[in-house]
Amino acid sequence: MSGRSKPAFVGALFLLLSATTADAHIIGARLGDFYAGAAHPLTDLKDVILWIALGMLAGSLGASGARSVLLLFPLGLVVGLTTSMALNASSEGALVAAGALVLLGLLLATELRIHGAVLGAIALALAAMRGAANAGAIGPETNRLLFVAGLAAAGYVVIALVMAATLAFRDNGAATPAWRRIAIRAVGSWFAALGLMMGGLALAS
Amino acid sequence: MSYRLRSFALALLAGLALASPALAHDGEGIAGGLASGFLHPLSGADHLIAMVAVGLWGAQLGAPAIWLLPIAFPLVMAVGGVLGVLHIPLPAPETMIALSALLLGAAVAARLRPPIVVAALIVGLFAIFHGHAHGAELPGAADPMAYGVGFVTATGFLHGCGIVIGALSRWPVGARLIQGLGAMIALLGGYFLALGAGVAG
Repeated sequence: MSGRSKPAFVGALFLLLSATTADAHIIGARLGDFYAGAAHPLTDLKDVILWIALGMLAGSLGASGARSVLLLFPLGLVVGLTTSMALNASSEGALVAAGALVLLGLLLATELRIHGAVLGAIALALAAMRGAANAGAIGPETNRLLFVAGLAAAGYVVIALVMAATLAFRDNGAATPAWRRIAIRAVGSWFAALGLMMGGLALAS
Repeated sequence: MSYRLRSFALALLAGLALASPALAHDGEGIAGGLASGFLHPLSGADHLIAMVAVGLWGAQLGAPAIWLLPIAFPLVMAVGGVLGVLHIPLPAPETMIALSALLLGAAVAARLRPPIVVAALIVGLFAIFHGHAHGAELPGAADPMAYGVGFVTATGFLHGCGIVIGALSRWPVGARLIQGLGAMIALLGGYFLALGAGVAG
């Protein structure tokens, strides 16, 4: 690197590192409702945790058995959201979400090898439930097609990334340390514990 | 001024000029709930030392306790948490939490090796009381879900700390050190027990 380009490089690096959000009125842009659909579930911990738990479960069961989840989960989100819009009813379903979290957590913690079809059914049901819960964010001005597409895209990306990360973490060939499987099981027990408490809270309120 | 010093000064100046506020300590919403949940087990010394003692004891006992305890503990703790959320009272919760530190610390100090079922039952019993204390705070949190995530994660990290420290027990000197830590935890548990009974402090 030449003597002149070094300060320029340092300056450019600092500009890049200290860049902040653009605040460019993304919601008002042409594809704003797509981003609204994609961002809405990511601002709710219930969705984030349930999606991560499902992705981890699918990843821990291996690539071949879990591949269908990549298709079924976004599809379930679309079905749940559109059904909820058609019926003009949205439900938060706090108790059902807590029960689903307990189920996913226990399946992870006990390392139960469930069949791919059962996993697919769980993914579809969970996605439909969360899709319906997200219907509450659709207003009269919202472009429904863009919102649905955004939600499905976010669901696909999150599930695919978490599944891939879990697969890579858990199955690193023959030399995979035993603690990695234990760590995934421990996180599963955390999910189940959280679901139990959320269920208690839903019952109390 | 040398070239290197000039570059460093330029970089420092640019960094300072472009610095933006950190926006930490939100205190509300998800961030507030996470922070209060995460800090709850860490800010109570009786909770903290008991959780570390669980990890230490698990490491001392070896497999399968070393993985069984961190997996089973959050689940049993959540049962206590649900009781706390529903405001179902437990007998003398603070005393039992202090007693957990005393007994678990003493078990580490004495290198007790009971059957795994007995160890799990002892830890499970105390987990209910720890969970009850956390769960009672949950409905009032800024974001109950975030609070739950915070305190379950903090509890898991404390177990992890205990297990990592407990790995020292592979070496003779480390084993003595762990026993010493157990004795300190037991003494602190005894102090909290006396404090609760109004004898100390």
